[in-house]
Amino acid sequence: MVINLRVWRQEGPDSSGRLVDYTVNQASEHMSFLELLDVLNEQLLQSGDDPVEFDSDCREGICGSCGLMVAGIAHGPQKRTAVCQLHMRSFKDGDTITVEPFRARAFPIIRDLVVDRSAFDRIIAAHGYVSVTTGSAPDANAIPISKDLADDAMDYAACIGCGACVAACPNGSASLFTAAKISHLGLLPQGRVEASQRVMAMVDQMDVEGFGDCSNYAECEAVCPKGISIEGIARMRRSYMKGVLSE
Amino acid sequence: MKLMSALMSPVGRKVLTGVTGIGLVAFVIAHMIGNLTYLSPNEHAYNTYAYKLISLGWIFYTIEILLALCFILHAIVGISIQIRRRKARPDGYKKYKSAGSPSYQGYSARSMIFTGIILLGFLVLHLISFKYGPGQAEGYTVTLPSGEEVRDLRRLMTEKFQEPLYAFGYPIIMLLLGMHMRHGVWSALQSLGMMSRRLSPLVYSLAAVLGILVAVGFLFVPLYIYFW
Amino acid sequence: MAHSARQSQVHSPRLDSKVPSGLLQQKWDIYKNQVSLVSPANKRSHHILVVGSGLAGASAAATLAGLGYQVTCFCIQDSPRRAHSIAAQGGINAAKNYPNDGDTVWRLFYDTIKGGDYRSREANVYRLAEVSNNIIDQAVAQGVPFAREYGGVLSNRSFGGAQVSRTFYARGQTGQQLLLGAYQALSHQIAGGRVKMLPRREMVDLVVANDRACGLIARNLLTGELERYAGDAVLLCTGGYGNAYYLSTNAKNSNVTAAWRCHKRGAFFANPCYTQIHPTCIPVSGDYQSKLTLMSESLRNDGRVWVPNDPHDERAPEMIPEDARDYYLERRYPSFGNLVPRDVASRASKKECDEGRGVGETRLAVYLDFAHSIERLGEHTIRERYGNLFEMYQRITGDNPYQTPMRIYPAVHYTMGGLWVDYELQSTVPGLFVLGEANFSDHGANRLGASALMQGLADGYFVIPYTLGAYLAGHNQSDQVSETHDSFAAVEKEASDRIDRILHNDGDKSPTVFHRELGRLLWDHVGMSRHREGLESSLQAIETLEDEFWERICVPGSADRYNKNLEFAGRVADFLELGSLMARDALRREESCGGHFREEYQTPEGEAARDDEAYADVAAWEYQGRDPILHLEQLTFESVHPSKRSYK
Repeated sequence: MVINLRVWRQEGPDSSGRLVDYTVNQASEHMSFLELLDVLNEQLLQSGDDPVEFDSDCREGICGSCGLMVAGIAHGPQKRTAVCQLHMRSFKDGDTITVEPFRARAFPIIRDLVVDRSAFDRIIAAHGYVSVTTGSAPDANAIPISKDLADDAMDYAACIGCGACVAACPNGSASLFTAAKISHLGLLPQGRVEASQRVMAMVDQMDVEGFGDCSNYAECEAVCPKGISIEGIARMRRSYMKGVLSE
Repeated sequence: MKLMSALMSPVGRKVLTGVTGIGLVAFVIAHMIGNLTYLSPNEHAYNTYAYKLISLGWIFYTIEILLALCFILHAIVGISIQIRRRKARPDGYKKYKSAGSPSYQGYSARSMIFTGIILLGFLVLHLISFKYGPGQAEGYTVTLPSGEEVRDLRRLMTEKFQEPLYAFGYPIIMLLLGMHMRHGVWSALQSLGMMSRRLSPLVYSLAAVLGILVAVGFLFVPLYIYFW
Repeated sequence: MAHSARQSQVHSPRLDSKVPSGLLQQKWDIYKNQVSLVSPANKRSHHILVVGSGLAGASAAATLAGLGYQVTCFCIQDSPRRAHSIAAQGGINAAKNYPNDGDTVWRLFYDTIKGGDYRSREANVYRLAEVSNNIIDQAVAQGVPFAREYGGVLSNRSFGGAQVSRTFYARGQTGQQLLLGAYQALSHQIAGGRVKMLPRREMVDLVVANDRACGLIARNLLTGELERYAGDAVLLCTGGYGNAYYLSTNAKNSNVTAAWRCHKRGAFFANPCYTQIHPTCIPVSGDYQSKLTLMSESLRNDGRVWVPNDPHDERAPEMIPEDARDYYLERRYPSFGNLVPRDVASRASKKECDEGRGVGETRLAVYLDFAHSIERLGEHTIRERYGNLFEMYQRITGDNPYQTPMRIYPAVHYTMGGLWVDYELQSTVPGLFVLGEANFSDHGANRLGASALMQGLADGYFVIPYTLGAYLAGHNQSDQVSETHDSFAAVEKEASDRIDRILHNDGDKSPTVFHRELGRLLWDHVGMSRHREGLESSLQAIETLEDEFWERICVPGSADRYNKNLEFAGRVADFLELGSLMARDALRREESCGGHFREEYQTPEGEAARDDEAYADVAAWEYQGRDPILHLEQLTFESVHPSKRSYK
């Protein structure tokens, strides 16, 4: 199949970028979208042009490295799919697809489609953990945890930290990412001990990083490759209010 | 001080919007029900209702002040969220679209800031026309069956809604109010942490019903006055 | 060139395994009782460089920082949370014996050493089994949401190569959850200022001075700058070299460069020919393919592997009746059935496909069928167990595995070989420690499922905190050199020259072209089955390819910015050198064991024929260009008796 691409090219963080048109004639419906970009890059290399830079690593939807706006949607049109697992069978021969980086002030562009998402690491470092040092743990079965609770926690823990929630949010909010970690840890007895400190610190950090507010559009949930529910955001707010009131 | 900074946090801002929003929804519903007394066969019903409200004295004034606070906070936080939104993404997308369900990013959600600003403007005009409009001094006086001489709001309303601008402008604004509530009611509950995966779709639909009911409820009186 | 004669069976004096004496069950305790400790005040003055942030790296960095050491941690991705440990699906083993089905530390040890075809060191493997239980406790305390039973206790499942249920899991994302646990522990230390985290850094060389590792040169992948870091010890936690094959289940950025550069600085590379080919991956669909996707081994708990009896049977799989199917694993290995270890299952699939019974367009696939399990347990249970894997399969192939069998084929997945380490995880370069998949130590010639996560975390959480102390306590601080030392300048110059050479070469071929070609050579000749002629010819071909690489490599752009092709080119150059060593090692090992199957050495039934007489050893190669020097560590078995590994 033939695919036309309009790809965002930008030299560096401070330069201005633009959309550039390319055509890949040798696309196959079995390819992943990133493999299509690989083919484009081989093409560019042969013609002596600079390849399009983009991040990717595991290419099986779990590491969260990849993340592109494909046809206006974070990770592309297929639900619950990271762009590395988006296959070209989701498109038609002759389609023109716009490819842009994830955009947010807190995700500055490094080059072309590569952005800096270290703000997420700083949100986790703010208190996205249980303060337990190695060796001090009791027996794993010492505290029973109901299956439902463990399953709920797992739903939130599934977050891959790709940043699609921020990219898709009209406000550029990181609420879903932050709420996922708060909910994952807050649901489990091991994490509940520090729940108040955690939610306060992480919410504050989210603000410091310059993410926008949440307007409950739920666009984040719609693009999340793991389908993480905005119920987590409600949970984060409850936990935050509880924290404020108990202080 | 801790509480202030908590209220200014991303969660605090949403809680403020949610709480004030719910206060405003309660007001709007009460107002709408009050308006409907205009349609009562008893021609004094509306003025009696208005008089009873005023007679509540300090309770009435406290509610008025609280409502004013709700309006002001709701507007300030709403506008500040909009300003942050621009800051959070200074360079927009060349191409952007919603991924669809379960996203609630429909017309009503996307237009909250516009419907909100229009409602704010409307509120000012509305207060000028009615609350601070002509009163007993200007001759809008009526005697209730119970004997009290009160402001004749019914007449004021009848006159205003005989003007086409009011009769048709007002319903349009009320449709915008319905839209604002369609996303707002659910959103307020979500902001207060009351929603869950199972509850959300249900409440979101109920919010739509409520939005429509309020809009329709407010439409009755002006259209009735103009056409009958 | 070829090693036609057997090497002399002499234990090299340079390979002192430092295994403590005493009863196997007591060795680790004896070691811990006798090891020198570093006082808390002194810990603060020691600076440890941890390269890699996967299970081994993140757990080591977090634990050492928690103990008080100053730690700098490097990772190649934009965040430590993205290390490839994250992609491990199935689970993690531990000898908790919660199901009360007869598991013990000894049994886990025994299964692991047997699974490794008696090519690993007893003491290391026993220690691994011993600390396995602590890992589960630690992970649960960190908030890892392992699967639970309705009563609230942890749930277990069975995995290949074991007859007990000892695998803990978090849906099909166990690696992700364990890595996030370690990443969160690491983040805690980062927040406390005890770990300095440097993402988007690639270690390009090791600096050795006064005969010990004293630092490294890293390339900042954003600015291209070469940066110098001095430390009292270097911990290499950079994973395996499966990407030498180009197509593997490894992530795109997984590479051997850091390990290979350490090898060139004096660290011996052990058993490079031991690679694990995982039996259940999604088959290749075309030339453009950039990586392979694993379908967790746990699927073999409920899935049945089969091919049609008749190679010309063109019917859709659901239309083929039972009597026209060959459930070849169940037929050949009645006691383990579909749960035979990975190497056995992979070779069996290859055999079926080689004999023409493969299915699908390419005929390089077999069926993995859930119809019976769905009938027996209901779709709901199957969805609960494997839902996310089924979805992933459907996303990639477009087929619905609830309705039609999956098509699977083996793919390179893990490398048991790696830098040689002693009992303390120290390489042949003093001060250079190697953890996790990057070392060779615990899995012998074949790794059992759910043991990689166990080993990475065991090394990082529970082994290195003790053994590093032993090194540092005996360490003369005056030997330590700073970044301004000449040795840093010299190594940095070499690194920068290598980059210049790649960039300024007037070639015409991209790194991917060379990588793909190398991958093809390795897969065909140093893959699931190997033989002398193939290995000899591939050795020659790889060396020719390496020469061609330096003549024709073409990388656009410059060195002072983000430049993915430049990164890849450097890694491909190292894979090419490693590729020769893999072939050389496979050629030398004239026996079949675990993942190393030499066609010349098989039983009449086609099973691996191990030669304990001649090859019960570890082959550790010392770098010397294209003529590496072989050193042998003889493996002695005091507690188990190497038996024929049979899963019949």
